Amino acid sequence: MPPIRDKFTIHSRAVVCQDVELKGDITIGPGTVVHPKATIFAIAGPIIIGSGCIIEEAAIIVNRRKEVMRVGDNNLFEIGCRVECPSVGNFNTISTRARVHHTVRITNYCVIGAACLVVPTDDETLDDYTSIFGPAAERRTWSGRGRIQEADLRLKHAEYLREMLPKFNRLRRGDGA
Amino acid sequence: MAPTIHYYCPCQSGESVQTPPPPHMASSSASFHPLHSLFFCEECDAVRCNRCVSVEVSGYYCPNCLFEVPSASVRAEKNRCARNCFSCPICRSTLQVVASDPPDGGDGRPSVSLSNVGEPPFFLYCNHCRWDSAEVGVTFEKPTGLAAQLQKFEDSAPESLEFERLKEHFEPFLRTSSLSSLSHVPSTSSHHLPTSSATAAASAALARDVPGVGKYNPPARSRVGRDRTANKDEMPEYKSRMDISVLGQLGSEGDGSDVEAHRRMETAEEIASLEQRWGNSWTTSLRTSDLRPFRIPLHSKVSKRCPTCRHILIKPEQKAQSVRYKIKLVAANYLPAMTVALPHTQAVDATRRPQAKVPNVADDRNAGAMMAGKSYPFHLALTNPLYDPIQVRLSVQRMHVTAVADSTAPEKARRTPFAISLPTSSFPVAAFAEAWEYDDDDDMFGLEDDELGLEMGRTRDKDGKGKVKTVGVLEKRANVTVVGGEVVIGKEARGHVKFNMLVSYTYRSDDPLPSEDGVGTPSRTVAKTPEVKTFTFYTVVDLGPILPREEKVDPDI
Repeated sequence: MPPIRDKFTIHSRAVVCQDVELKGDITIGPGTVVHPKATIFAIAGPIIIGSGCIIEEAAIIVNRRKEVMRVGDNNLFEIGCRVECPSVGNFNTISTRARVHHTVRITNYCVIGAACLVVPTDDETLDDYTSIFGPAAERRTWSGRGRIQEADLRLKHAEYLREMLPKFNRLRRGDGA
Repeated sequence: MAPTIHYYCPCQSGESVQTPPPPHMASSSASFHPLHSLFFCEECDAVRCNRCVSVEVSGYYCPNCLFEVPSASVRAEKNRCARNCFSCPICRSTLQVVASDPPDGGDGRPSVSLSNVGEPPFFLYCNHCRWDSAEVGVTFEKPTGLAAQLQKFEDSAPESLEFERLKEHFEPFLRTSSLSSLSHVPSTSSHHLPTSSATAAASAALARDVPGVGKYNPPARSRVGRDRTANKDEMPEYKSRMDISVLGQLGSEGDGSDVEAHRRMETAEEIASLEQRWGNSWTTSLRTSDLRPFRIPLHSKVSKRCPTCRHILIKPEQKAQSVRYKIKLVAANYLPAMTVALPHTQAVDATRRPQAKVPNVADDRNAGAMMAGKSYPFHLALTNPLYDPIQVRLSVQRMHVTAVADSTAPEKARRTPFAISLPTSSFPVAAFAEAWEYDDDDDMFGLEDDELGLEMGRTRDKDGKGKVKTVGVLEKRANVTVVGGEVVIGKEARGHVKFNMLVSYTYRSDDPLPSEDGVGTPSRTVAKTPEVKTFTFYTVVDLGPILPREEKVDPDI
């Protein structure tokens, strides 16, 4: 396997803490917040993360396929989750300790509940507004009511973190080679 | 299966018999309880379990808002929370009251004016599964007082109106009959009906068959009504409020509309599961999309009393959010806690883990359990909860093996399948003290469990100060004493190794405080200070299953 060459393109308005493990070709958009102890591994292919995302501690985002992994805007990856999807849309929430396999494509406004395992054997695309919850990972469709309030909350969350995290953590700057 | 110890409560055994039932019978497990579920009555000096204590409710509270509901309003609110606590019908988590989204700006970005309170209409929203009550049409104008707003709607449901009509119909007859028979005192009246007639109506309802909502049968009811008020006036025939066929479509009656719905069904999730439906008072529609949010049922705090002397054993604090107790007489504060372990299984587990990734399943089971025809040591650890040191004496109860399940060798089956040897003399267990008070002395024999496990079957001395011994006091550490015993399993033994063990311990209470332990114990020495008291209880020790051996081996017996 060819050695992984690190190439980080971090936007100047993104907040990435020093303690984050980054590997491979990673692009991070403006306004994104990456908490310390997060892990982003672009092992086989590059990862492009959009704007306004929040990646919390112990979250693992890994791309083991050669294709580009695109993560959209304003997503929330909560503590301990593990995401390997080839594409993630906007305004999704992947809750604590959830696992999503590389066979799943997430669209917009989805909610993967806490500790849910979304591991289908075949390729699958989750429609907009899908909500997965419960120990058996049951699904239902969110009606979308309240999404504007939730979007507003997400923006406020990211804004607060961008303000507070640099006061208490060292930030990683720029690009490595 | 890990070996366990359970304690015996004599409440099931009747007046004269104090010994526990033989443990190999399946019904005896009802008398044995783990230590953490037992109480101890100081007056009677006896162990009490959850089955024999008398329970009374000391308060009701809502598990969500932790509001203490006075008992009078409990009945009025039908055992539900009267404030804004609702439960999601899909995932049973608590619902949140949210405002509707402000009107969209058109380009998707949130508009600037998001007021603090939010905009009506308000609805209930589940954060876990993202269900919201607008899907079933439940919305509110104000974000507070939801129960009142919903109450009007609930009361106008046809089932509810029918039930009210039924109650009104029965009320005069039941009141006259109850007044003539008993001296019922109507307690606090809810704003619907007096209590006595409602409870009498409830007992009348229990007497008839349980139909669905729509299956009203007026002739049958009037017959029942006539039986109820036997010597009283004739009850007029009851006319239900609406037509039966109309009512039949409300619930799941198995008629045409339900069949159509089932034909059109696409996924299994469209039918509401049993867990989601059985909390309703009357049958509702089967579809998941028709499930409504329901108010959170109240929980109650109970206090428990000893059945004989009425002494309070458990009394919780009045505040709903506090988990402590005003009075807490649990057995763990009086009886020594015992755990049993088979050291050879622990040794095997420790060595096996770093090795093979895919161990043979049969090997695992063989290594962990006990095989017929061999002898194994086991360790009993006793922990003393009292502030005084105790002297413990163990003895195994004689077991009458009348019939063993295995009928292949009827001769050999008469023998007891296993023999237990325990230290017969009494041994001390040190007093409980705070961790910083301990002066670390003795591990008297200082043996590690692994060493002991590997030496199994080698030594047979029951006493003496040999280097390795299996029976006797093994270790003394703080307020824990580990004693070793040995079990010899016969070749034809089957089933589980379970035996009753009698534990009696004596302790001195140096201070003559009456609070420490009650009077009336069986043995008391004359001296003022110190007094020696003895308490005795039975336990059952389960060491695990016996695996039969295939090959022939010389028996150890």
